[in-house]
Amino acid sequence: MSSKQKEDEAKKDPREAVNLSCRGPVLFLAFSAIAWLLVYSLFTMLAGVKVHASGMMADSAWMAYGRIVPAADLALQFGFLVQLGLGVSAWVLSHRGKTVLVDGGYLYIGGIIWNTGVTLGFIGILSGHASGLDGLAMPGHVMPILFTGFVLIGVSLVQTNNRRTDMEMSPVQWFIFAATLWLPWVLGAGYLLIHFFDAKGVMANIIDWWLIHNFSKIYLTFVALGVVGHFSMAFTGREVIGRGYAVFAFWVMLLFGSIGGISPGAPVPAWLPALSTVTAVFYFVGAVAIWNVLRHTQKEATLVDEDDSGSFTLMRLALILFAAIAVVDVFFAFPGPGRSAEFTTFVSGFDKLYQLGFVGLALLGALYHIFPRLAGVNFCPRLCKLQTLAYLLGVLGATLPSALGGLMSGDAVLGSGFYFASVGDLLLLLASFILFVNFLVATVMAMKSCECLARLLGRGEEKEARA
Amino acid sequence: MTIGLSFLLGLVAGSVSFYMLGLWWPVALLVGLVAWLAFGLFDVKMDSAFTLMAGALLIFCVSLSGMIMRADSQLSGLQYAETVLEDGTQARYPIPLLGNARYGEEVYRSIGCAECHTQQVTHDGVEFDIKALATEKNLPAVKDAIDRYHRVTGSPASGGAAHGLPAGEWETVAHGANAADAAKARGFLSAAGASVDVQVRFHGEDLEKDEFINPDGRGWGKRRSVARDYLFAEKPMLGSVRIGPDLANVGTRHSRATLLRILLNPQLIRKGSKMPQHRFLFEEVDEGEANTITVLKGEKNIYYKPTKDADALVDYLLSLKGAQYPLEEAPVYQPFTSSLPVPAAPAEEEADGKEGGEASAESAN
Repeated sequence: MSSKQKEDEAKKDPREAVNLSCRGPVLFLAFSAIAWLLVYSLFTMLAGVKVHASGMMADSAWMAYGRIVPAADLALQFGFLVQLGLGVSAWVLSHRGKTVLVDGGYLYIGGIIWNTGVTLGFIGILSGHASGLDGLAMPGHVMPILFTGFVLIGVSLVQTNNRRTDMEMSPVQWFIFAATLWLPWVLGAGYLLIHFFDAKGVMANIIDWWLIHNFSKIYLTFVALGVVGHFSMAFTGREVIGRGYAVFAFWVMLLFGSIGGISPGAPVPAWLPALSTVTAVFYFVGAVAIWNVLRHTQKEATLVDEDDSGSFTLMRLALILFAAIAVVDVFFAFPGPGRSAEFTTFVSGFDKLYQLGFVGLALLGALYHIFPRLAGVNFCPRLCKLQTLAYLLGVLGATLPSALGGLMSGDAVLGSGFYFASVGDLLLLLASFILFVNFLVATVMAMKSCECLARLLGRGEEKEARA
Repeated sequence: MTIGLSFLLGLVAGSVSFYMLGLWWPVALLVGLVAWLAFGLFDVKMDSAFTLMAGALLIFCVSLSGMIMRADSQLSGLQYAETVLEDGTQARYPIPLLGNARYGEEVYRSIGCAECHTQQVTHDGVEFDIKALATEKNLPAVKDAIDRYHRVTGSPASGGAAHGLPAGEWETVAHGANAADAAKARGFLSAAGASVDVQVRFHGEDLEKDEFINPDGRGWGKRRSVARDYLFAEKPMLGSVRIGPDLANVGTRHSRATLLRILLNPQLIRKGSKMPQHRFLFEEVDEGEANTITVLKGEKNIYYKPTKDADALVDYLLSLKGAQYPLEEAPVYQPFTSSLPVPAAPAEEEADGKEGGEASAESAN
């Protein structure tokens, strides 16, 4: 269907037409994202087991602990979070702008290229071609592929935003629009500086830390805040309460989230960790402002549609996690507490809680709302409850014990933390497996009842001829 | 947007321009005013994609230039340093990796050792002890300087200075002072004409254990790591999590045989170790082959021989000795010069070359 035809349909029944334009591309990105979540949880589980059974798979270099962990992280960050973020962003921008998704084909092509990049990066790390850097462990040659994939999807998202029917942009659109621009900029700059211009010495690490800090504090946070904002407004039928605070939060978080990410003891010029502490404090001010805006938007609201209560609960939970982690982050940004947490599993545990908890829950809540509207079929409610419960317990179990164990230090505590974390990993694997199966079954059912499949198989023409 | 919020945004813009970008204060003030007016009075619309993109692009450039480019301009001038080890050996540091160790670095990268091990020694802080020596002539002035120091810093008098400073003897004036207080003490005492001797003590869990100086030390290095340590490293593998020990100075702690056994099965060295085994770096061989590690499995001995990768990795690990080279920006522990033994006479030195050599090396430090 061409863009012109889609626009005509939008005039008849805007929401249906918007959903129709998003159906294929968004479901494709969401399915790929869930497949990567399954890969992540499987490999994290394997890594956890290797800590308890040090001799397991010790004859295979591909299954070395130091390869499994960064490969799993890549699957989580670039496979699951970014991809689901892009899919949900496309849907939100279309709905908020009351327009059809423009050039949805770019999402297919971009998505295929993006998945190719993530797959090559994943295999590259497992085969021993990792960069050795903390944040961007993938081989350098993968980054241009990811960049191309993202730009193609981004072009569609930016065009969709520009074709909005309301001239006024809501805070949701600012956050998602800025995030869509930001990631290719930092990916491009990071690739050029680290790999193309071959940054030497600790400069490579500084750029790597800067990039991954931007990825987390700008891209993931802005997408998740945009999604929480949109659904809070949509579920309650309210506009954002406190637009002025949202403007303030947007610029403050963008400015101070883009600078920092250097830990207190890093072997770099002393002003860099000091600058990171200062920016973390200012970022916190922005985070408090946006949290206040979203909290007021959600507060004492009655749901427009009771079916959305599950998604709304996840959004609320995501916002609580956002606020809690922001407080912890700013506390540990100061040199004293920061030094006690540095190099411990506390930092990695809380990073995971932020990604899987705040960002993951927001995106998952959005998916629960979006999927039935796109596919025309709902997830199995029982499985849905089970996967959500397992996901929540899995996320908390996989992150909090190792984070607390890391803070308390000492081998014994760290050991028990790892045992609890493995239980969490197991629950997360269960959750992602159920979600994958649920998604797959629902999609197949939707395709069976969909006329487009029949048309594809040629039956449609026969029916039309008969008629 | 309210005037209050737009004022805050203006304040932020002005502060960033002044403190981070280092702009001249009138320019920073102007930037702040423009931001305030733009958001508050002129009500800049957030409904234009162009406004958002331009603003975001400006911030991206600020971030890139303020953090990355500025750090690069500071670090790009870094060169190797001439240094002297505690045993008196002169060295040019850092030493580039050569031969098999270079390949070993790639094996280290490939296996992902940095997922559990860092290569950065840190310290928690520096303390200074200060001794002074006064003569009969300048004794009153030196006593005044000491009183002034204690008055200014608010620290109680300790050591010999608390009982009155005798002329002609080294006495402790300050113990455990921070860098600012130590600088004051040194300034006051020097101005009064006293001889001053400073002992620099570093403390932190990563540094070498010493009952007096650093009782909680883990012994991972003599000093903290600095940017110069990685001058010749391409994409240094600093690591961010320490599930295992720091490896910045591992070459001084373990032998080749121990490192090979740790790689094969860490529990051979330390019971209960959580480090995964790396059997893929070894091949099983028959009894009688040279350079094998014997592991008892059940009632049977199994013989493992390190592969080329394992040997290279161990060569690389043995080359990691950076945290013992004193540098200007990261010195190692410096004891009181006045407390060091007097170097032996040349004739005695010949008779007992080794001890004499050590003494003179220490006094040189």
